[in-house]
Formats: sequence, C-alpha cells, structure tokens
Amino acid sequence: MKKFFLAAVVVAVAATASMANEDLVKKGRKIFMTKKLGNCLACHDVNGDKVDGPGSLGPKLQFLSAWPEQALYDKIYDPYTTNPLSAMPPFGKNGVLSDEEIKAVVAYLKTIN
Amino acid sequence: MKKIVIASVVGSIAFLNGANFNEEAEKDRKALIAYFEKKFADKKNAALYFPYTPKEELENNFRWGIKWEEFRLGSYAFNKTGRAQYEEMNEFPPYEDNIEAGKELYEKTKFKSGKSFKDCFPDPAIAGDYPKYIKGKGVVTLGGAINNCLVENGEKPWNMNKGKMADLQAYFAATSREKGKKINIVIDSKEAAEAYARGKKAYYSQRGYLKLSCATCHVQGAGQRVRNEYMSPLLGHVTHFPVYRLKWEALGTLERRVKGCNKDQGETPHKPGSQWMNELAYFMAYMSNGLPVDGPDIRK
Ligand code: HEC
Ligand code: HEC
Repeated sequence: MKKFFLAAVVVAVAATASMANEDLVKKGRKIFMTKKLGNCLACHDVNGDKVDGPGSLGPKLQFLSAWPEQALYDKIYDPYTTNPLSAMPPFGKNGVLSDEEIKAVVAYLKTIN
Repeated sequence: MKKIVIASVVGSIAFLNGANFNEEAEKDRKALIAYFEKKFADKKNAALYFPYTPKEELENNFRWGIKWEEFRLGSYAFNKTGRAQYEEMNEFPPYEDNIEAGKELYEKTKFKSGKSFKDCFPDPAIAGDYPKYIKGKGVVTLGGAINNCLVENGEKPWNMNKGKMADLQAYFAATSREKGKKINIVIDSKEAAEAYARGKKAYYSQRGYLKLSCATCHVQGAGQRVRNEYMSPLLGHVTHFPVYRLKWEALGTLERRVKGCNKDQGETPHKPGSQWMNELAYFMAYMSNGLPVDGPDIRK
C-alpha cells in the first residue's frame, strides 16, 4: 500500500514536470517565431516550419537535442563568445530576451533533432 | 632608402595635386565589385558565400555570372522568381505620375524670392552627381540640395522621405536616366575624404541592439534571405532611387529606405539630413560610381 502510494506520487510529480516542460517548450517556440521577440526564424530553418520564411542568413537548426543546455544558452546569450564574427545578435547581452525567456527557448531547441 | 625617398616624393606630389583624395575610395569600390562578381560568378563558390542556403535554391532560383552593371537591379539581378515579378510590376510603372508631378514642381514652383528651382538647378539631369562634399556645408545629398534651395529662397524645407521631395527627385532621376547619366561622386579634398571614411565606418559598424551592420546584410549577407526576403548588394544600391515600394504604396527616397533598415537593426533611425545619414549616403553612392542612373524604380 505504502509502495503503491509512493509510486503514484512519483508519477504525479513526473507528470507535472513534463507538463511544465511542455509549457516551456511552447513558450520558447513562440519566442522563436515572433518578430518582436527572438525572431529566430528570420535567419534559421527549423523542422521546415514556414512562417514567412525561414531565412538563410543562419544555418538550419538540427540535432540540437544533443547540445548541452548551457551551450545553447550561451549561444543565444552572446554568440560572440564562441564565434567573434557571428552575424547572430547577442539576445541576452543586449537585453532583448530575459534569462527566463532564453531558458524557454533552450527548452524548445532541446526538442530539435 | 633611396627608393623610399622617391616613393614618398611621388606620394606628396600626387597629394599636392589633389589627384588622389579618392584613392582609398577607389580601392574600396574596385574591391567591392570584385567581391560581388566573384560571389555571384558561379555556384561552385556557394559553400563559401552562401553556407546556409539550401542547395535546391542555389540550383533553381539563382542566376549566375552577374556582371558589374547588373547589380543595380538589387536582388532581382540573381533571384529568378523575384525578377519575373519585377518585370511584371514594371509593365505599368506606378511612378509615372510622380515623374509628371516632379516636372510640374520643377517648372512651375515660384518661390517667395521670385526665383524657382531652375535657378538652383539649371540642369535637372543631376541625380548622379549627389551627394556632394561642399566646403562649409559638408556632405549634401540631393534632398539636402533641394531643401537648401527652398530655404535660401525663403521657403520651408520639405520632408526628406516622401511626397514632393520624392516626386522632384523622381523627375531629376528620370531626366538623368534619359540622358544616359552615370553616378559621378567626387572626392577632391582632404575633408571630403574624411567624410567618406566616416560614412564607410558607419556602414561597417554593428548598429542597434541587434548588433548588425549594414554590411552584415548587404555585403556578406547579400543573396541570403531574412525570412522570405533576399538581401540586395550594396553595389548598385543608390542607382535607382527614389523607389516606389509596394509596402509603402508610394514613392520614397534613399533616406526613407535607410530609416527602415535602421529599425530592422534595432536602432533608433537617424534623421535624414543629419551628418551621419549624409556621410553614409556619400560612401554608398561612391561604391556605385560609374553605374548608370536608373531611377525611379519599383521594389517590394
Ligand atoms: C540575424 C540572423 C540571426 C538571428 C536573428 C538568429 N541567428 Fe542563430 N545564428 C545565426 C548565424 C549566422 C549562425 C552561425 C554562426 C554562429 O554559430 O554564430 C547562428 C547559429 C546559431 C546556433 C548554432 C547552430 C549550429 O548548428 O552551430 C544556434 C543554436 C542558434 N543560432 C540559435 C538561434 C536562436 C535561438 C535565435 C533567436 C533567439 C537565433 N539563433 C537568431 C544568425 C542568426
Ligand atoms: C537584418 C538585415 C538588414 C540590415 C542590418 C540592413 N538591411 Fe537594408 N535591407 C534589408 C532587406 C531585407 C531589404 C529589402 C530587400 C532588398 O535588399 O532589396 C533591404 C533594403 C535596403 C535598401 C533598398 C535596396 C533597393 O534596391 O531598393 C537599401 C538602400 C538598404 N537596405 C540600405 C541599408 C543600410 C544603409 C543599412 C544600415 C544602416 C541596412 N540596409 C541594414 C535588410 C537589412
């Protein structure tokens, strides 16, 4: 009985966690697509999504699920740290996206294979 | 040692003659032409110049082997579908009435002083001669010269972006095109060379909170897309203004277009007529030196 109870709690916690993550991914995708926010689609193709684009100034984003979260965060926060000549704007450093928003975008990028 | 002395003597003689104040600009212009001709020569170089453009797009939608004079067509020089739409749009050019209106303004406007535009601009075929560096005034664009003429004759200056200003410039451009005029920007003093250098620096500097430079999009980026829109090359940019833009549903000047790009970079737009804008335009125009004046034109 006790064991059963524990298992139920674990399942419930896992379920809320994945719900929260789903919301985060959704939020991140929205930032990615929206002109006034990340506007990432202006330069990047993802999964062939077509919203008035995607552009070809940046690479097609793929296999990002394999990237460590920190590396994705850093790329969005300030791409010049890994590529001083990057044409990609530093969305965190310049204050366009907040810490919370970048984390949402990272959650979305982690779903990209 | 002797060689160096000779070289420096030759250098200073040329300097005294004032023959080479445009030396840096001329070098830049030739390098830019070489860059774009190479970039659009052949899809073999695509990996270098278009690293992220899908292969099918390069195969199917690009024209290659583009030469200097063709770059004045902007993205329509290389973008096949865009070119077809452009040719369709130009069958019934929406700017004909603007040229007519500009001609009226040129011939019929009477200033408070009793003079007219003809007194300031006896020859209307001058679209390729501006911006000019004028001692005491700095760089003056065509719009600036028109407003100087108005103010000197007791009139209010016009909005530099559109309306009457664009109409009169359309007439100047059309007349210049008819007479086969070319872009003919002169750099003939130390001050002019310095103004050019500042304009060039502005063009290549990262701007606004997005930290993009004009060159990110119109030099390296030319031929790539932001969203669905191909970015046109710097070379040829000034040849065809004022431009009728479908988005504006009206004619606009170069200053108006640059304002739009300033916003896209996340930068508060610079004022038309400001030193920054004038010197940027001076640099841009010099890059197109020798190309035929081809305005007004139409763009999406
Ligand atoms: C103005 C163009 C532009 C915009 C807008 C842009 N990027 Fe980029 N991005 C680039 C370029 C160019 C590169 C390649 C150079 C580099 O890695 O810095 C790149 C690289 C990346 C990479 C590395 C991909 C790889 O495979 O190496 C990621 C991840 C990325 N961008 C995510 C984003 C996200 C998320 C946004 C929006 C918040 C965004 N980008 C907005 C131009 C852009
Ligand atoms: C984020 C990319 C980007 C940046 C940065 C940018 N532009 Fe643009 N620009 C565009 C796009 C897209 C267009 C419309 C398509 C085209 O190139 O004709 C355009 C159009 C233009 C045109 C009109 C071309 C024509 O033939 O009608 C001019 C002129 C121009 N830009 C100048 C500038 C200048 C000057 C700057 C810097 C102050 C600048 N741009 C910065 C993307 C950009």
